[in-house]
Amino acid sequence: MTRRDAANRRRGMLLLAPTILALGALTVYPGVWVLWLSLQHRIPIFDVSRFAGLDNYAFLAVDPRFSNAARTTAVFTVTSVALEVVLGVTAALAIHARRGGRRLALSFLLLAWAMPAVVTAKLFEWLYHPTAGLINVALGARSINWLGDPRLALPAVVLADVWRTMPFVAILCYARLLAIPAELYEAAQVDGAGRLATLTRITLPMLARILLVAVLFRTLDALRAFDIMFVLTGGGPAGTTETLTVYAYRALFQTLQLGFGSALSVVVFLLVMAVAWAYLKLLRAGTVAA
Amino acid sequence: MRSSPGGVSSPLPSLLVVWLLALGGCLGGPPEGGPVTLVFKYARILGSADPLPGLLRSFEASHPGVRVNGEALPWTSDDQHQFYVINLEGRSPGFDVMMLDCIWVPEFARAGWLTDLTTHLRPDELAPYFASAVAAATYDGRVWALPWNFNVGLLYYRADLLAKHGLRPPETYEELVDQVRRIRIGERDPALHGYLWQGKQYEGLVVNVLEALWANGARLLAEDGTVFPEPARAADALRFLRGLIETGVSPAWTTAADEELSRRAFGDGRAIFLRNWPYAMELFEGADSAVRGKVAFVSLPGRARGERGAGSTGGAHLGVSRRSRYPELAVALARHLTSEPAQRAIALGAALSPTRQALYRDPELVRAHPAMPQLHAFALAGRPRPVTPYYLLLSSTVQPEFSAALVGVKPPERAIADARARLSYFLEAIR
Repeated sequence: MTRRDAANRRRGMLLLAPTILALGALTVYPGVWVLWLSLQHRIPIFDVSRFAGLDNYAFLAVDPRFSNAARTTAVFTVTSVALEVVLGVTAALAIHARRGGRRLALSFLLLAWAMPAVVTAKLFEWLYHPTAGLINVALGARSINWLGDPRLALPAVVLADVWRTMPFVAILCYARLLAIPAELYEAAQVDGAGRLATLTRITLPMLARILLVAVLFRTLDALRAFDIMFVLTGGGPAGTTETLTVYAYRALFQTLQLGFGSALSVVVFLLVMAVAWAYLKLLRAGTVAA
Repeated sequence: MRSSPGGVSSPLPSLLVVWLLALGGCLGGPPEGGPVTLVFKYARILGSADPLPGLLRSFEASHPGVRVNGEALPWTSDDQHQFYVINLEGRSPGFDVMMLDCIWVPEFARAGWLTDLTTHLRPDELAPYFASAVAAATYDGRVWALPWNFNVGLLYYRADLLAKHGLRPPETYEELVDQVRRIRIGERDPALHGYLWQGKQYEGLVVNVLEALWANGARLLAEDGTVFPEPARAADALRFLRGLIETGVSPAWTTAADEELSRRAFGDGRAIFLRNWPYAMELFEGADSAVRGKVAFVSLPGRARGERGAGSTGGAHLGVSRRSRYPELAVALARHLTSEPAQRAIALGAALSPTRQALYRDPELVRAHPAMPQLHAFALAGRPRPVTPYYLLLSSTVQPEFSAALVGVKPPERAIADARARLSYFLEAIR
């Protein structure tokens, strides 16, 4: 038995080896390399390559463009994920409650979700068009400067992102709703629970775990958001929609400051890892409690 | 039960074979021998007919045994730059002749990615080109690219409206503002915009602000490398642009406008003046244009008590990759594509302006584009953006600062000061 176990184990390792090798080559190696780059002044096209220690991180600490991008990323993530959860749960409950039009509603939701972010951004670019855009025309031909006003640009970007990704939350929740046993609701009815009590005592608690998973995915995506703002506003006006990833892109690929850009990427990576770790802890705590 | 030893071990050999095959596929190089193939990287040209395939075939006809593959670049300028940087820094020999935005030439030359063309050229070979186009292709006293097509900022105006109100095209921005006021009072049309330009946070904003700086006697970069050598005049120019928006001469959405947004609004007959590139004229003269026959252009205005106006120049150049295996042939191809017949074909088939001055008086071209001779004079007066290897660093650093001044969240003086401070940190690492 034990010999066979050992053999199985070896075979298992052998089968896993390609995956582990590939992961190592594709994630660990570049990751370590980026970390190493971030400790240097490295601008290859100007033949600049020297050790900088923590210089790049020290500059980030006092860089107003970095703190602005960090704030923008935080505001974007919190507002878009919050709206996605509220709207997503509402949409899931609405679809679950109604019999008619369920298929149609689901396909519309999937359509929005299936669209590439760049296409969504282009779509919203037209919707927000200052003179011919549907939104301004619908508002009575008022010329609201959606993408050119520093107070409106970030909300406009958030709205576009919510439209695209709310369906993800809605569909996950809808799937969970289908799996809640009907007996639970019958029992609640017998106990005389009203609609509000049923919602807050049964439906929402049953949704909690799947919501946590959805929020985890959405938060990680939102922290790394790039295409929507890159296409819609390019980070403007006045840098009000420039997220950390857009800033890192400009440093890395436009101005080719590999050292400085890598330091930015490392910060984004640490941020994403910290958030992921916090969520996973929450999820695990939830599992133990349940 | 299904995971019996025999069942598991049998797929192993085939798994290994698949792995080896995959590896072999990755390592396999291009086949050796056969005819010489040159690769030309370019962005597809918009227009009535793409003249490029025909030009590549005619090069093949005059060079037996040579094949030219035209390969498309990504659509946006940012993506094209990224494509080149990754491939050239990675020493890819994947292409020979490259279409380059003129602002990249000094950067690529400094990086050692371009073949020095100076020795390949005859002494007077660049004389027929616009001097500002040649200047943009020159770095460190050497020539690194051949100018291929040319752009210059122009002031479009509604000739019908100006004539109706007895006005001549403005020579200064102050006159322009006054004319906007008068025409609007006369027309009593609240939906008619005054002056449209590009104020979105992108490269176009830098171009527009540069033109305002020059008209006000200010520069972004001095010859000795000083950033904003005339900071007070630069701030004044930004304040003037902000004033255009505040007073309603330019609509509030100017801060989100790029070339196409402003071009469409003007093309719909909703504005009196527009700053744009030469390509717009052909679209305004199109059969379904609302402003057909009503549009003319002049040089960009200057400032009262300031300098004469000058449009910023732009355009595409052709460079030869340092990694090309056939540099002589690649230079010949770049030369063929920038020759007079080739540029004539491109100007006829697409709405792109030539870099050779003689073509602006070419009978065939003037018949197709009657505004050509006039465009020549304004193109001659055009000024290039700062010709420096770190232009993109310069541009991407000043963009948010200029934008902040335009939308009014930062006083112009502070925007200029902040941009200077940031640039000095980055430039310190380079110098």
